[in-house]
Amino acid sequence: MTSTALSARGISKRFGSHQALDGVSIEVLPGACVVVLGASGCGKTTLLRVIAGLETPDTGEIWLGGTRVTDAGRNLVAPHERRIGFVFQDLALWPHLSVRQNLEFVLEAQRVPPAARTARVEEALRIVRIETLVDRHPHELSGGEQQRVALARSLVGEPRILLLDEPLSSLDPELRSTLRQELARLQHALKLTTVYVTHDREDASALADSIVEMRAGRIVSITEPKRQELR
Amino acid sequence: MWGWRSSRTFVIGTAGLIFAVGCILPVAYLFTTSLTGIDAAAAALFLDARQRTLLYNTTLLGVGAAVLSTAIGAPLGVTLARVPLKRKAAIRVVLAAPMLLPPYVVALAWMYLGTRGGVLAALVDRDVVASWTYSLPAAIVVLSLVFYPLSMLASEVALRRIDGRLEEAGLVVASPGRVLRRITLPLAAPSIAAAALIIFVLAVSEFSVPGLLRVRVYTTEVFTAFAALYDFSRAIVLAVPLLTLCAAVGAVAARLLGDRIVSARRLTGSHPPLFDRWRRGARLAVAMVILVAVGLPIVVLAREALNGRAGGASLAGSGEAIANSLILSTIGATVVAAVAVCLGYARARARGRVANLADILFVVLFAVPSTIVGVGLIGLWNRPGVFGTIYGTDTMFILAYLARFVPVAALILAAAVRYVPISHEEAAAAAGAGWLRTMRRIVLPQLRLGLAAAWIVVFVLSFGELGASVLIAPPGESTLPIRIYTIIANAPPAQVAALALLQALVIFTPLAVLGTVASLREAH
Repeated sequence: MTSTALSARGISKRFGSHQALDGVSIEVLPGACVVVLGASGCGKTTLLRVIAGLETPDTGEIWLGGTRVTDAGRNLVAPHERRIGFVFQDLALWPHLSVRQNLEFVLEAQRVPPAARTARVEEALRIVRIETLVDRHPHELSGGEQQRVALARSLVGEPRILLLDEPLSSLDPELRSTLRQELARLQHALKLTTVYVTHDREDASALADSIVEMRAGRIVSITEPKRQELR
Repeated sequence: MWGWRSSRTFVIGTAGLIFAVGCILPVAYLFTTSLTGIDAAAAALFLDARQRTLLYNTTLLGVGAAVLSTAIGAPLGVTLARVPLKRKAAIRVVLAAPMLLPPYVVALAWMYLGTRGGVLAALVDRDVVASWTYSLPAAIVVLSLVFYPLSMLASEVALRRIDGRLEEAGLVVASPGRVLRRITLPLAAPSIAAAALIIFVLAVSEFSVPGLLRVRVYTTEVFTAFAALYDFSRAIVLAVPLLTLCAAVGAVAARLLGDRIVSARRLTGSHPPLFDRWRRGARLAVAMVILVAVGLPIVVLAREALNGRAGGASLAGSGEAIANSLILSTIGATVVAAVAVCLGYARARARGRVANLADILFVVLFAVPSTIVGVGLIGLWNRPGVFGTIYGTDTMFILAYLARFVPVAALILAAAVRYVPISHEEAAAAAGAGWLRTMRRIVLPQLRLGLAAAWIVVFVLSFGELGASVLIAPPGESTLPIRIYTIIANAPPAQVAALALLQALVIFTPLAVLGTVASLREAH
C-alpha cells in the first residue's frame, strides 16, 4: 500500500437513482500523472471529489500514501487534513481576496509562520509566472491569469497530490494549448502526483502517464500513452 | 419591444400615479410642510434637552434591536443554509413566523410574563424581571424577537447565493470554521449588514412596542403630539429627524444590497454542509428560539386569556372590529397587490441608475414610520373639497395600507418578475400579442406564487397595522389592532389577551398551512 501515492478500491457512489460511481479502482504511483477521461456525467468529477473528501463514497476505501482516509461510508480524514491541491473547473477563486490573500489563506490554514508566507507565495507565483499580479483581485485578471492563480493556490501548500477538474475547459483553444504545455512542464519539473479529469483527448495525451477512461460510472480501459510512444 | 403608445404605458403610468399620490405624496407633504410652514418656536424643538433624550433613546432602541436581532438571526440563517436538518422548510416557516406577528402582541405577552405578579413571578415565586418589564432594554428584547427573522432570512439567502465551489476550495485546505469565518461570512457580510440596517430602521419606526413598554422615542412623541395634544405642528417637527434618519439608513441599506434586492439568481445548486458535526447543537438552538419567540408568547397569552374566562365576552364585544380588520385587510391586500404587480414589473425590467433609484425609493418609503405616514395622510386629506369627502371614511385605511405596503410588495413582485425570462415576452410579441395579452397569458400565470406571497404578506401586515390606522381611523370606526390598543388601559387583561391571541391565530393559521405544504413538498 505504501508504494502508491493514491489508491482507490471499489469506490461506489449513488445520488438518488443515479449511480455516479460503480466499483471504481485506480492506483497512482508517486510523481505520476493519471488522466481520467470521459464524457459529461460519466462520474469522473465525482471520483475526484471522493478522493478530496468532498463526497463520501457508499462503498470502497481510499488510501493516500500509507494512510487510509476513507472507508466504506465515512471519511476518516477531513478534506483539509489530506494535503491535497485542488483546481476546480470554475477555478473558485475567492473574489473578496487578492491574489496574495488567496494563496496566504492556504498557508494560514496550515499554520505556516507569517514570516515564511511571503516567500512561499512569491515562489508559487513565480512557478506559474504571474509574480506581478500579486495585489490584484480575481475580477481584475484575464481567464488565463485566473487559471494560473488557481494553479498557484493549489501548489502553495505543497500538496502530496494535485487534483485538477477540467481546469482548461473554459478557455479558448490558443490559451488552452499554451496552458496545457505549461501544466505538462510543471508536472514534469515538480514531479507532482496528479489526477487530471478531462473530456478532451488532446489534454489527455499531452499530460498523461496513464489514461483511465470512464463510462457510466465504470472504468472501461486503462492505457499508458507515454510507454506506447517509447515503444 | 413595446412602444410608448402600447397599453403598457397606460397601465404602468396609472400604477405610478397611484404610487405617487398614495405613497410619496403624504411623506413629501410632511417634509415640505416642516420646512416651510412651521414657526421658529416649533423649530426650536430640535435643540432642547428632551429632543436629545428622544434621539438617544431612539438610536439606542434601533442599534440594540439591530445588534440583538442579528446575533439571533444570522446564526440561524447559517444553520438553515449550511447545517443538514430534517424538515428544514417547515422549520424555516416557524422561525420566520414572529416577523409577521404584530409587535404589540409580543409586547403584551412580555408584559404579562414579566410584570409584577405575572406568569414568571407565579412560576418562580419571585418578581424576577418586574423592575425592567417597562424599560428600554425590554423594548429592545421584544423588538429583537420580532425582527430576528429578517436577519435570519437575509443571511440564509446570502449564504445560498455563494457559489458552493468557493467553500469547497477552502475546505480542501482549511477547517470548516475557518472557511466560514474567512470565506463564507465575508461574502455574505453586505447582505447581513443591510438586514441589520433595515432592522434598525424598522425598530426606530416602531410605535406600539415603545408605547406599551413606556419608552419615550420619536414615534411615541409624534403620536402624543398629534393624538393627545392635538398639536399638528409639533407632530410634524418631531417627525422630521426620524424621517431623515430612516430615509438615510434605508438608502444605505438599499445601496449595500444593490441588485440583490430583486435578484433572480436561483437558490439551488450544491452547497457543502459545512457543519455536519453541529447538527445537534443547531437543533437545540432552533428549538430554543422557537420556544422563546413563538411558543412563549402564545402560551402566555393563552394562559392570561383563559384565566379571566372573559374570552367569549371580549370576542363578542369586538366582533365589528374583527370583521372590519378582515374586510379592510382583504381589500387592502388586493389593491396593494394590483398596484405593486405593475410597479414590480416596471422595476424588474428597468436597468442601470433608474433601477437603483427605484430600489432606494422603495426601501426608504417602506422605512417611513407608521405614525409619520398617519400624520402625513391626515395633513394631505383632511381639508375641504374632494380630499375631504374621502377623509373620514374607511378609504383612509386603504390609503394607509397603500402608503405603507406598496413598496415592499413591489420589491417582492419585482423579484418574482425577474424569474420570467424577457425572451418569453419577446416570443409573445413576435407572435403578434399586445402587452396586455402578454401579461395576462404569459407573465401573470408565471407570477402566481409571487402574487400569492405578496398578497399574504400585505394581508398579514395590514391585519396588524396600528401606527397609521390609530391616527387616521374615522370616528367610531375600529380595527382589531386599534381595539386592542385602546382597551389595554381599561379592560381586564384577559380580554386584551384573548383578542391578541385571536390576532396571532389569524396570522399563524395560513403560516401553519404554508409550513405543512412546504414540509410535504420537501419530503416529496
